[in-house]
Amino acid sequence: MSLMKIFLVEDNELYAKATKHHLSLNPDNQVEHFVTGKSCLEKLYLQPDCILLDYSLPDLSGIDVLRKVKSSQPDLPVVIVSGQEDVATAIDLLKEGAYDYIVKDENSKERIWKTINNLRENAKLRNELDRLREEVNLKYDFSSIKGSSPPIKKVFKLIEKAIRTNITVSISGETGTGKELVAKAIHYNSKNKKAPLVTVNIAAIPKELLESELFGYEKGAFTGAISKRIGKFEEANGGTLFLDEIGEMELSLQAKLLRILQERVVTRIGSNKEIKVDTRIIVATHRNLKEEVTKGNFREDLYYRLLGLPIELPPLRQRESDIILLAKYFLKLFLEENEMEDIRISDQAQTKLRTYTWPGNVRELKAVIDLAAVLADDGIIDEKDLNFNTVGDELDNLVSEGLTMKDYNRKLINYYLKNHNNNVVEVAKLLDIGKSTLYRMLKNNELTVN
Amino acid sequence: MADRVYDLIQLEELSGGDQDFINMMVDTFLEHTPGQLEELIKAQASNDMVTFGAISHKIKPNIDMFGIKKIIQDIRDLEQLGKAGQNNSELQTKLANVQAELTIAFEQLRQR
Repeated sequence: MSLMKIFLVEDNELYAKATKHHLSLNPDNQVEHFVTGKSCLEKLYLQPDCILLDYSLPDLSGIDVLRKVKSSQPDLPVVIVSGQEDVATAIDLLKEGAYDYIVKDENSKERIWKTINNLRENAKLRNELDRLREEVNLKYDFSSIKGSSPPIKKVFKLIEKAIRTNITVSISGETGTGKELVAKAIHYNSKNKKAPLVTVNIAAIPKELLESELFGYEKGAFTGAISKRIGKFEEANGGTLFLDEIGEMELSLQAKLLRILQERVVTRIGSNKEIKVDTRIIVATHRNLKEEVTKGNFREDLYYRLLGLPIELPPLRQRESDIILLAKYFLKLFLEENEMEDIRISDQAQTKLRTYTWPGNVRELKAVIDLAAVLADDGIIDEKDLNFNTVGDELDNLVSEGLTMKDYNRKLINYYLKNHNNNVVEVAKLLDIGKSTLYRMLKNNELTVN
Repeated sequence: MADRVYDLIQLEELSGGDQDFINMMVDTFLEHTPGQLEELIKAQASNDMVTFGAISHKIKPNIDMFGIKKIIQDIRDLEQLGKAGQNNSELQTKLANVQAELTIAFEQLRQR
């Protein structure tokens, strides 16, 4: 916004004309003059960007007009311009919400000019902030989490429940399942979405710094504390604090966190003053916190305090029907970001994507698709373009799926069938099992033959 | 002719060389301030010090804007004395100064 609609409320005709003339030197200033407080209040529906208000008016006092404006439009900046040089009056008006207090003297013209320019700049920044906020809201609305499989639909339902209240949410799931994305979707769709979402990755901060990072510190609290710093709890006041990898927090700090959650106050390091905080907590971990409690690595009381609404994110391998949908979505994003021509995923490549175990989950899928888009020839992603660089032991990844022996058998036979053109005789020979066993499994739909 | 008691430097700076604007401001000053001065004298005569303080307050920026230097402090003192309800000899002397200086200023501005 560059155009500024200014209401000038001034009963001194001479002063009003001088101010109007001066402000009109900038063609972006649109000044409307009112002689009384009442006439200004009647025109508030015209949505001015700011009000320059004389303190002494013939009908109402400046403070009365200020209060009336603030009660109907609390964000509308009101600048008091007055011949009163009384400091107490100025303080009272500023306490009532006046944006500034300018005394009518030989410098008032410059001060008004500067104040209006500051307001214009603030309005520009506020508009930019609103635009970015809207962008973030769109980015993290529900549609940012893709999928239609039953496990992800269950997650959507829980997110909807989390949005409706301020309940603490604990998100669990393997690495790469999208825990942070869910935290963002909850925050940016909640009633506190205009307040900040502050993310702290517990695992990424050295343990000796974590306390000061979370709770803040006063100047001189410790060597190197050269100035006061507010902690993440205070920063997130009114909004959401997302504590990622909460399972990595040390026991000594867990006790302090528990106290904050119980009493809703923080005390900066080096201070005795308690500061009230109203912050929604979302935690996430890839660990099984219940097991960590049993092992003595996580406080039981904190576990129950943080549990709130648990949301467990399914691994990608349990969302087989979402894999291609997600792959196409990531491909579209990558092509748009890099202004590339359209690329499609071949049927063979789709089969390869569907049958892989995805130990790195959605994050890994995105990385694989990004690389495949770069490697693809002739506008087609083929099998050869899909590179799975699994970290760790393949067996570990397979076993971590937690299947029954029957399921493992089925998975193994399916794998062999797929790689041997569904040749039952050959597969039976390779696995040293009877052909009849395979035929029975096929008949019972226990195996997949393409 | 006596020395000019006013100084239009503030208005000239504000005008950015726009003579019409200066003329318009002088006209507005001559239209409103003599009446305000009259009201001020009446308020003092009837010992209505609240009104006296309020009118002094309104005349103050006009005197500043037209650079009528001799009474810049006097009008401030009148405002304070009026608000304090002190209709005394000090107030009467300063009021006489303001009246005399403004009367000259009106005349000089009319003949400008």
